[in-house]
Amino acid sequence: MSDTRVRALDRGTAPERYARGWHCLGLAESFRDGKPHGVSAFGGKLVVWADSQGELNVLDGYCRHMGGDLTQGSVKGDEVACPFHDWRWGGDGKCKQIPYARRVPLRARTQRYPTAIVNDQLLIWHDVEGSEPDHDILPPQLPGLAEGEYTDWVWVAEEIEGSHCRELIDNVVDMAHFYYVHFAFPTSFRNVFEGTQATQFMESKGRPDKTEGYGDAELFLKSEATYYGPSYMINWLDTDYKGFNTEVVLFNCHVPTGPDSFRLQYGIVVKKPEGLDDKTANFIAKKYADMFGSGFLQDVHIWKNKVPVQNPLLCEEDGPVYQLRRWYEQFYVDQADVAPEMVDRFEFEVDTTKANEFWQEEVADNLRKKAAEEGEEGEKPATDTPQMMSGT
Amino acid sequence: MPSFVPTSPETLEDQRLYTSARLVEVACLDCLAKVGVKKNSEHHTSIQWTGEARAHCPELSRRSGGREAHPACPRMIASIEAAVRDGQIPIGAEDGY
Repeated sequence: MSDTRVRALDRGTAPERYARGWHCLGLAESFRDGKPHGVSAFGGKLVVWADSQGELNVLDGYCRHMGGDLTQGSVKGDEVACPFHDWRWGGDGKCKQIPYARRVPLRARTQRYPTAIVNDQLLIWHDVEGSEPDHDILPPQLPGLAEGEYTDWVWVAEEIEGSHCRELIDNVVDMAHFYYVHFAFPTSFRNVFEGTQATQFMESKGRPDKTEGYGDAELFLKSEATYYGPSYMINWLDTDYKGFNTEVVLFNCHVPTGPDSFRLQYGIVVKKPEGLDDKTANFIAKKYADMFGSGFLQDVHIWKNKVPVQNPLLCEEDGPVYQLRRWYEQFYVDQADVAPEMVDRFEFEVDTTKANEFWQEEVADNLRKKAAEEGEEGEKPATDTPQMMSGT
Repeated sequence: MPSFVPTSPETLEDQRLYTSARLVEVACLDCLAKVGVKKNSEHHTSIQWTGEARAHCPELSRRSGGREAHPACPRMIASIEAAVRDGQIPIGAEDGY
């Protein structure tokens, strides 16, 4: 006999704090123009500037004197100067100088964010408990990046309103959405969580029924995507398009800006293929960035319209949503409250057999319908780039 | 301090069901590691390690913290496959999971 009770959605309540860990603010170079930069983050605003040595500093954006907006001030020497009364703040968080005063109050110390430069990007450490930055859990430097083996950066930022950033994290385990939302076709899907890292391994091919032009069925993708902490993912993508292999690396990171908003940023570099000039390689990187950009927008549309759910109802073909969230929880509790099960190694292999049987049929059916329509309308012009998807 | 707080007690039961129900202990044939395993189907596998088991595994301990740490330990996979062949791990889902 079937259960007749109605399943309720538990929307839960969102966390009151922002995650502990390293957060990427953008390409380091973009902050080195001699001006203070304002960055929304963790429910407030930060000021970022480069000192005379090019070192990047990050402080809370508001002057502890009378609340002036430091991001609208100026850089004077190594310090950021408030536009209101010219109080000068150093990268260590201390007020260094008040030009009109005899002395600087000893208590003139503001919130500073420890920084690190990894993969040409500026990362900052955030922890509501005020802990020292943990450099052991920084994301790894991509070998070959500093040596010029990759293309120039394509870097994009998107403001996402009305969604908690956990919606983005959930994608790590969401096998089936790659087919329905991104029109890719996962043939193999595996997760490993351990410590502060969460990884997704996926092999997929493009859906031939969803794009015109140069045959998606020819596109194969091997993707390995790892979150290093709560907000910084490196996605290694080995693509094979008609036998042409490209190594794409996608960096997917975000900073929470409010209780239900975040700034999504993604950057792409492509390993320069042998015998290809830089201009062509950069063009390929741009093409991939466009593709992933449209992929993220497909996600955003879903997030904007869905509700949060604490008790997802799963089927056998779904990934380990509950275990992923258990892992993610570690960044929202005090360090002392991180439980073993949040960080213990966990591995999960999704069975894609049934999904693939059904999807093969559905795609074949769509292709038949399309062929019939095109028979009536005549040939359609080739459009679009092939659809393929990253680990997000 | 809890973060994402469920508002229904049934959600806690769901958390238990999806994370720890029906885990069968499998001992590695090569080292002292013991893990919890669940198989909803022949191709599905869920493997829960503990800190203790992880410390026993020489294969995982040998790897650096980089990308190479992510793939499964082949010895543990072989041990799980052997346990499945021996019928120690029931294969199948309950109520769709």
